[in-house]
Amino acid sequence: MLPLAPWLVWIIPLASSLLIPVMNRISDKARDYFAVVSIFVTFLFAASIIPDVYFGPAVGTDLTAPWLPIIGVTAGIVVDPLSILFANLISFLGLIIIVYSLGYMKDEEGLSRYYFFLTFFLGSMIGLVMSDNFLQMFIFWEMVGLCSSALVSFWSKRVEVVRAGTKVFLMTRIGDVSFLAAIAVLYANLGSFSFSYTMAHIGDLPLSTITTVAFLILGGALVKSAQFPLHTWLYTAMEAPTSVSALLHGATMVKAGVYLLARVFILFGPLIPLIPMWLESIAWIGALTAFIGATLAFGTPDIKGVPAYSTVSQIGFMMAAFGTASSSAALGWFAGLFHLMSHAFFQSLGFLAIGAIIHMLGTRDMRKMGGIRKLMPVTFALCIVVLFARTGVPPFASFFSKGLIVKSLLITGDLLQLIIVYGAIALTFAYTLRFTILTFLRGQSDYVKNANLHEAPKIMLIACIILAILCTVWGFVANLFASFMHVGQVVQFSEIFSIPTVIFVFVLFLGGFPVYLYYYKMDGIESTFKTKFILPLSTVAGNGFYIDKFYDRFVGGGVAKISRGVRTAEYSFFERIPTYVSHGANRFTSRVHSGFDIAISKILYFTRDRWLSKDDRSPHDVDGSLPSYLVVFLVGVLILVVMILMTIWV
Amino acid sequence: MMTMALLLILALFAAAIPISYLAERARTGLGALTLFIVATIGMFLLSTTIPEILNAANNNRYTETYYWVPEIDASFSLFVDGISFSISFIALILIALTSLYSIPYMKDRDDINPYYSLLALLSLGLLGIFITSNLLLFYFFWELILIPSYFIIGTWGGGDSYGVAFKFFIITHAGAVLVLLGIGSVFVITGSLDMFQVTAALATMQTGPIGWILIAFTIGFAVKLAVVPAHIWLPDAYSESPATMSALLGGVMTTAGAYGILRISLGVVLPALLSNPFGVQFLHTLALFGILSALFGSLVAVQENDVNRMLAYSSISHMGYVVFALSLFPNPLAIIATVLHLLNHGATKGLFFLTTGDIVKKAGTRDMNELSGVASCMPVTGTCSAISALSIGGVPPFACFISEFLIFMSAFQVAIIDSFYLIPTFLLLAANVLSLAYALRYVGNVLLGPPDTNQMNERSALVLGVVVALAVIVVILGIWPSIFTQLIALVNFQT
Repeated sequence: MLPLAPWLVWIIPLASSLLIPVMNRISDKARDYFAVVSIFVTFLFAASIIPDVYFGPAVGTDLTAPWLPIIGVTAGIVVDPLSILFANLISFLGLIIIVYSLGYMKDEEGLSRYYFFLTFFLGSMIGLVMSDNFLQMFIFWEMVGLCSSALVSFWSKRVEVVRAGTKVFLMTRIGDVSFLAAIAVLYANLGSFSFSYTMAHIGDLPLSTITTVAFLILGGALVKSAQFPLHTWLYTAMEAPTSVSALLHGATMVKAGVYLLARVFILFGPLIPLIPMWLESIAWIGALTAFIGATLAFGTPDIKGVPAYSTVSQIGFMMAAFGTASSSAALGWFAGLFHLMSHAFFQSLGFLAIGAIIHMLGTRDMRKMGGIRKLMPVTFALCIVVLFARTGVPPFASFFSKGLIVKSLLITGDLLQLIIVYGAIALTFAYTLRFTILTFLRGQSDYVKNANLHEAPKIMLIACIILAILCTVWGFVANLFASFMHVGQVVQFSEIFSIPTVIFVFVLFLGGFPVYLYYYKMDGIESTFKTKFILPLSTVAGNGFYIDKFYDRFVGGGVAKISRGVRTAEYSFFERIPTYVSHGANRFTSRVHSGFDIAISKILYFTRDRWLSKDDRSPHDVDGSLPSYLVVFLVGVLILVVMILMTIWV
Repeated sequence: MMTMALLLILALFAAAIPISYLAERARTGLGALTLFIVATIGMFLLSTTIPEILNAANNNRYTETYYWVPEIDASFSLFVDGISFSISFIALILIALTSLYSIPYMKDRDDINPYYSLLALLSLGLLGIFITSNLLLFYFFWELILIPSYFIIGTWGGGDSYGVAFKFFIITHAGAVLVLLGIGSVFVITGSLDMFQVTAALATMQTGPIGWILIAFTIGFAVKLAVVPAHIWLPDAYSESPATMSALLGGVMTTAGAYGILRISLGVVLPALLSNPFGVQFLHTLALFGILSALFGSLVAVQENDVNRMLAYSSISHMGYVVFALSLFPNPLAIIATVLHLLNHGATKGLFFLTTGDIVKKAGTRDMNELSGVASCMPVTGTCSAISALSIGGVPPFACFISEFLIFMSAFQVAIIDSFYLIPTFLLLAANVLSLAYALRYVGNVLLGPPDTNQMNERSALVLGVVVALAVIVVILGIWPSIFTQLIALVNFQT
């Protein structure tokens, strides 16, 4: 381990992000290469910790510095397999993506902001996984949200992009609030934010409190990881530059939720299976999301929608795996993390490979594409790797990770979940095949012919190829990885030739064959089956089952309605209070005044009527002028009388 | 160690009243500079009291007492403890920076010679509130700030400025009358006007009209704090004032209201009632009003199109947080969180008003639908404005996040003892999401988006300097709140 590596691994990117605007002053090149170098150094530091963890104990070590003594918080980092795994993944993928950006974002405006937020994003995410207490983690958690929102709205001159960034932040904030509440309940009961203290003392709490905390944390993790039914923000985030999408999906943001749950398994330890309905909820949400996400990926006409919904679905697999784990030593826990790694590689590749296509075509609609294979052969090859790796064709990495997930589902023995997950696996192949056929195969569309398509710049391809290699070989390091995670589970490579593999391949065939028939064989052939049955269905699926529209209309619309109502109350009632009060006061004083006048005049007329005969009386005049004169007159008389009386007495 | 530090600060500001007038008449900008120097010296003088605040032997308090009106036990007694120190320090920073900012901001206004004198008078009053321990003197300063505010809003404000100033004056004065009533009753009951003696004296009584005194004080302060429904003066006052005045109003004056509740309602009067069911009911009511303000303010702010009014409602909302946090008294973490939120909100709102002031002045409109893409023509101001907006939205690593976080922590601490607080706390979490909503709406509509055709630029180095300095303070407060929390934690309420 390099000295202070666990600290520097997040401080370096955070600090260098602050220097990026300064570097921008020097030259564009200096800024770009500075960003690359700082993330490279970060990666070196992260990698240098690997041997310590691999040969060291599984238990975390804490290094701390005083920070907020008032609530007993010390800034600290935790070094254990989980945190170091994530730190390496984030810094490595960050490096790949920042190199890719050199080509992809070349002539964009506002790159200083782009690289600032990118490095800040990486720093925050690494900070999140290295934190040894909830407060520090939550701060980074929120900063990750901030950065992803800022990066999603990178092309900030377009209104809809800005709106997308806002939506991403606001929607994930709902989950953040849930996480915040969980931290608060824990702190109120334990009096500490520290992980190690929580681990030691969580058992002292009543089960009801632990259940509350566990479900609140789950809420936070599910939103951040875009699980059904709060997955819609992830598709909205597709307004981001493709490099950012790759980062968002590969290593940061959505992975934060997975990390949090994985961490909870360590923190709560033996209590996990005792929490009622918790594991079951995770497993069910995961399985359902895996399936629903896959159908959404199948239905979308958007080329970026495929990997976006694919991530939703794949994280569902990880959740389903977590749902089968009774502790951090169980197979499910390891299977989830193993799948996380393979997903990180193939999904970033899935994004980076199509980045150039979107860039050059200027559209994301796959229906307008077709036959790109000949124009971009390398990209096509990369997408074939994505097809195999995402589906889990042996011996690609996710074959092993999905195999482990299926195995752990078999152990817990919920058959329905298993069937749903198999369905999701079939659909995974189906939607990736559909994407490949629509974009690369078929005849070249007019749209593609008119566009000047050519292969992406070398630097982007190199970044992609590294990921493609990793997708291919990652499965073979499964055992190394297992011993790095200090998990006893071992993958037998001979298992490739076994019955589950046969089932697996059969399931893939079930998913893929109709797609092949429909999109490849029947392409361009009109039929009533297509117009009557498929079209309405694909409209529904293409609109994401209208879930987002539902939120917009009912949740967003509801809040808007309430706030409009409150605003109306403010302007038509509260704002007018001063007016009411002053009018009231005016009216009151004038009433008093005129009432007094009327009373006086009544008295005057009454006395006059006693003295005068009926003929001499003028009509009663109660406007106050006559009585006023009379009052003055009477007062004068009174004074005179008093003076006379005084002279008499004196 | 200075022995007359606090008196000297007040004397300097008093001296600045004529001096800044003369200086400004001699040369434009000199008046502002005078005030800036006075405020800077004030910060230095204030810092000399730190050793005394840290000294536990002296009750963690630094005191000065001078002869004033002995007939009614009114001595000119000044003190600072952790809370007073922190609030005064942030107030001095804001005063120093806004006076510098005024030079370019007020440049094209005519007849600004009296402006800095009024600002000096306002500063004198504001600081006085935070550093006196005599109730009569407190009231004296409390009323003193109304006069310069009235004239600054009236003379240099926009719209129906004197009408707005009148409304502000009358309503807050009506609140002040209740405060005076409270002070009078306290004097009649205890025969003393010194806060600390009164606290001790009241603690032995526990009966009679103490409840009424508590209510009178609290309503009086709540008007200044703009708790719904006593907020009606605030939106107009904030939106029509010049940006510098809004910054001080939003940054320091509302803080004074919260300080009043904390120091006098809760610190002096409530301890006598804490064991009483009335005290608990009072705190519960306070919590409900806090939640009402927090939700009300943020809901209106989400829909508001006028930038300044959005900020005004955001202040109402944040003061709702503060009132809610105050209702958690005497939870020690809640007290720290409250004061910290006052500091953070003060610095942030100051920054927010100063940046939007510059933007609004250059764009010539306050309508968020007309403003767009400001950050691309004014990158520095835009970034700082985004920092303040995100801080208001409760996003780390900016200031307001950490204090809101502490408020939530203390709220749950109290909630597990008193389940009444559970629902209000969850409602406050909802208000927190709404805060982010209007903050992001501001960032998205005003700062981002297609740039305006209107050529806006940032040429004044002074404006940039002030804005960047405040932004740095907002970030530092967010990352390292311990600078102040350590001092605040030393304050001991006699409960």
